[in-house]
Amino acid sequence: MQNDTVKKLVKNGAIWAFIVFQLVFFEVAGQWWSLSDSAFMDADNMLLLLKQSAPIGIIAIGMTVVMINGNIDLSVGATYALAGIVMLDSMNWPFMEAMGDAAIPLAWLFALVTGCVLGLINGVVVWKTGVDAFIVTLGAMLGYRGLVFMYNGENPTYHLNWTMVDIAEADILGLQTPAIVFLAVVLIVWLVMTRTVHGRNAYAIGDNREAAVNAGIRVGPHFVLNFVLIGFLAALSAVAFYSGSGSVNPNDGMLFELWAITAVVLGGTKLTGGRGSIIGTLGGVIAIQLLRKGLGHIGADTETVNLVIGTILIAVLFLDRQLNRKGAEELKV
Amino acid sequence: MTYSTKLSLACTTALIALGGAAAAQSVTIGITQNNVGVDSYQTTYEQAFIAAAEQNPDVEVVVLDAGGDVARQIAQIQDLIQQEVDAMIIWPTNGQAVIPAVREAYQAGIPVIITNSNIAEDGFEFVRSFSGPDNITQGARSAEIMCERFTEMGIQDEARIVQITGQPGYTTAIERAEGFEQRLPEVCPNVTLVESQPGNWNREDSQRVMEAFLVQYDDIDGVYSGDDNMGVGALNAALAAGRADEIVFVGATNFAVGYDAMERGEYWGSIYQSPVDDAEAALQTALDVLAGEDVPFFNYFDTPKITQDNMSEFDRPVF
Repeated sequence: MQNDTVKKLVKNGAIWAFIVFQLVFFEVAGQWWSLSDSAFMDADNMLLLLKQSAPIGIIAIGMTVVMINGNIDLSVGATYALAGIVMLDSMNWPFMEAMGDAAIPLAWLFALVTGCVLGLINGVVVWKTGVDAFIVTLGAMLGYRGLVFMYNGENPTYHLNWTMVDIAEADILGLQTPAIVFLAVVLIVWLVMTRTVHGRNAYAIGDNREAAVNAGIRVGPHFVLNFVLIGFLAALSAVAFYSGSGSVNPNDGMLFELWAITAVVLGGTKLTGGRGSIIGTLGGVIAIQLLRKGLGHIGADTETVNLVIGTILIAVLFLDRQLNRKGAEELKV
Repeated sequence: MTYSTKLSLACTTALIALGGAAAAQSVTIGITQNNVGVDSYQTTYEQAFIAAAEQNPDVEVVVLDAGGDVARQIAQIQDLIQQEVDAMIIWPTNGQAVIPAVREAYQAGIPVIITNSNIAEDGFEFVRSFSGPDNITQGARSAEIMCERFTEMGIQDEARIVQITGQPGYTTAIERAEGFEQRLPEVCPNVTLVESQPGNWNREDSQRVMEAFLVQYDDIDGVYSGDDNMGVGALNAALAAGRADEIVFVGATNFAVGYDAMERGEYWGSIYQSPVDDAEAALQTALDVLAGEDVPFFNYFDTPKITQDNMSEFDRPVF
């Protein structure tokens, strides 16, 4: 019993231990290698880190829910770009321009609706055809990206509105808007996953779909709901980011799905479903951003970041497997 | 005194001892580049930038690469603000999306220099200087090369030419076409520009455009392309049609393929744009700004004409 608790602690705490290790490492290494006079563990720097984590972080939270289900969504990067384009392009529509700054909430709404609709399509196709979510969303990834290019060719979609930028850069207690949105999403989805029937069903379905069906859980609609959720969150991420930047490149968001999945897996969610935690994903997201930031701080090449993250990802999966195998053996005794 | 401050003190002391008086007044300049691995122009740019910085003992550089990702570039700009660099050089991944981040740097009192390709005009007020090629002059010089060649051949009063432009909407493409179209009637008033079509910076697209031109027009004496990549596409179309000998090909941004075609005598001329000059100009602009010198907003570096006649003076481009 006590062994179990320790094991659980090791498994759930590993990512946080890793974050602490990174903080200490970059703080100390920064003294030698960094050209900056300010400390790495500066409070402002840490708040900035949360803001910079937001675009991938918000998506990763949705990805956690979908992966706990035993599904995956590869189309989030394209959804993110398309939602961003709808948001900025809608600001250029004549009736929206006539509304002035009052059009901003409406543009956000359009973007979020776009995300929900794209998620709904994924969910319904997965439900009604029974095709694996990996294949469905792989197709969606290509298809939605095609829509992105159809919208405006290879040109960036652009609308700079300083009011919108100011909203995105506004800060409360040092936390800028994207960071606040990110933390709010973490809190709400965490509550949903730990305190509601929907959350418990998500784990049950991922753990054993057949048993879940037998227990009377309506698996199809449940999937649809979660795909709508991740579509919504991908769009929310676009809203938080593009409000502050005002321009979408047609290839924006490429590889976001892989970064999100990396963060989720680093946070201890199983690819096969049934286990995982929102808080773990928060740790995974922070760990990745910390690496990017820290390696930049000590003057390492950008390519090094990818190498290090790749290595750590494999190490984490290996560790996870070792711990699980021990668990299986213990059962036999 | 905490352990870390002790450490940093020890390090600073060591640094000062090592670097002597120079280290005390050194400046830190951060750069965030577009996408270093994507082509050899950008790779050479980065190497030249680091080499130039190393030669100057008073300069420390923080070299970052956005990997073509706008979000990462914005994060890097914020990191550089956080690190309190003395000046910042940005090669924008997207000339519009970085404007709010540039404004943050401006508000933090950090001078920003844009390199290679400029940001949109909305952001000009937050930028100290743009260091890069002058695309209007490049276009004008291409027109001069074309005209000089026609004069040598004695067809300056009857020549008919076509133009293949870069990606529609891109500043570089618009400016080069503008410079070319303005300058040509000034130097060769009787040359007719019969048609312009976009080749999207793409060799295959440009080849298709040229194939159509060759079918449409029986008499084409010259082709101006927005860069050599497209120029070689047009050349290939003309070679396939057996009409390359009668056409003068002039491009811009001399690529290795263009340089080789010039060596073979198939391609006439271009504009030589060196990533090394580009990088050194950016660093120098930043240093001049920090030294309080009066730096022009558009701080162009020279991009000379290159033709079959003078190409031996230039190294083969690396890209």
